[in-house]
Amino acid sequence: MRTCPVLAVASGLALFAALIGAAPVWAHHSFGATFDANKPVSITGVLTKVQWTNPHSHLYLDVKDKDGPVVAWVFEGYPSVVLYRTGWSRDGTIKIGDTLTVVGWRARDDSPFALGREVTLPSGKHLFFGPLSGTGEGAAVAPGN
Amino acid sequence: MSGMSPRVRGAAAGVVAVVVIASSVQVAAGVDQTSPGNAALPRPAAPPRTPDGKVDLSGVYQSSPKRGEWDPSAPGQGGGPENEPPSLLPAARQRAQELLNRRSIDDPTAYCLLAPGPRMTGVILFPIQFVQTPGQVVIIYEYFNAVRIIPTDGRPHPDDAEPTYQGDSVGRWDGDTLVVDVNNFKEGNWLAAGIVSSDKLHITERYTRIDKDQLNYEAVIEDPELLAKPWTIRRTLMLREGVRVREYVCAENNLDPARYQEYLKRPSLFMRSPDQAQPR
Repeated sequence: MRTCPVLAVASGLALFAALIGAAPVWAHHSFGATFDANKPVSITGVLTKVQWTNPHSHLYLDVKDKDGPVVAWVFEGYPSVVLYRTGWSRDGTIKIGDTLTVVGWRARDDSPFALGREVTLPSGKHLFFGPLSGTGEGAAVAPGN
Repeated sequence: MSGMSPRVRGAAAGVVAVVVIASSVQVAAGVDQTSPGNAALPRPAAPPRTPDGKVDLSGVYQSSPKRGEWDPSAPGQGGGPENEPPSLLPAARQRAQELLNRRSIDDPTAYCLLAPGPRMTGVILFPIQFVQTPGQVVIIYEYFNAVRIIPTDGRPHPDDAEPTYQGDSVGRWDGDTLVVDVNNFKEGNWLAAGIVSSDKLHITERYTRIDKDQLNYEAVIEDPELLAKPWTIRRTLMLREGVRVREYVCAENNLDPARYQEYLKRPSLFMRSPDQAQPR
């Protein structure tokens, strides 16, 4: 299983998120309630299921360690309506059995669950799959404090 | 204008001409301020007008400072210029801090409930469609598939309106700007993370399509139980030709409420400590 917690790409995303952290955030669900911005991951696995739904889509990947068991990972991302405009098509972009790499941030409870920010397709193409870390949870300190 | 006398028609045409010139000046002043990347684009056309000479707001837009096609790299934050933070009353500030410490799991939108216009307008991931007809402007937000029907025929707020998430809207034209007065909100709306309004919330929105591409949005928010002074939010909406508003049923697969109930059994897992100054 490849779980590189300090991949350069993921760190770059986290840094970008930190830089925009002071700006108002206007999204749907709280990133920080579920995911930890200090746990960037990059996971490669085989696609077993796609949940193309609102308000979130999910990718299910079987991730195999050299010596260990296969771990079923779940990646949460944008709603399906947003994915259409982000370059995905429901039936044409990925298929079951594809090997994908997903970069994102792991759940706080350390379960094999993460927010997927970007997916690398078998062709090598990259597509955004979810928002940046920090989206939707608000600042740490209330305005005026 | 067929029912007008020649004199009135001439005066109306003059007004339209002045307005067009004024708009062109705004275009020249406004283009390059939105984004350096827009400077290379050709000067946008004047905004379209309806047969009665009003600027036509109709179109599909994205909250974004960038002209052109849909911007897919959206990080999830609102588009447009920086906005100043609200001046919260002490009790509201304390409440906001408590809600932020809970990482906003109490946000009604996490339960697929709607939010007032200023927040809906800033959501960058979902298009917003304006449909303008004589006497009425309809705003269709893909986000939650919310709809606002705004009469512009001079009628007042109805006296039997129930408080709602998006409030009751009545509009009027101030030159080329649509001014919308919004009241009768439910209490407990989230204007932003942790910023919760009362049933005294009153919002004055101004929609100005300064050219074919760009629709400027300004909302002045008043709430005597939340704010020490009015809070102004500005957004930039950009026309996205060819983009269509789709169905978005948030209740289809909303897993968060059940998750949050589980998290609350282990609050140390996700909550910020009250004295924590930085996010972790």
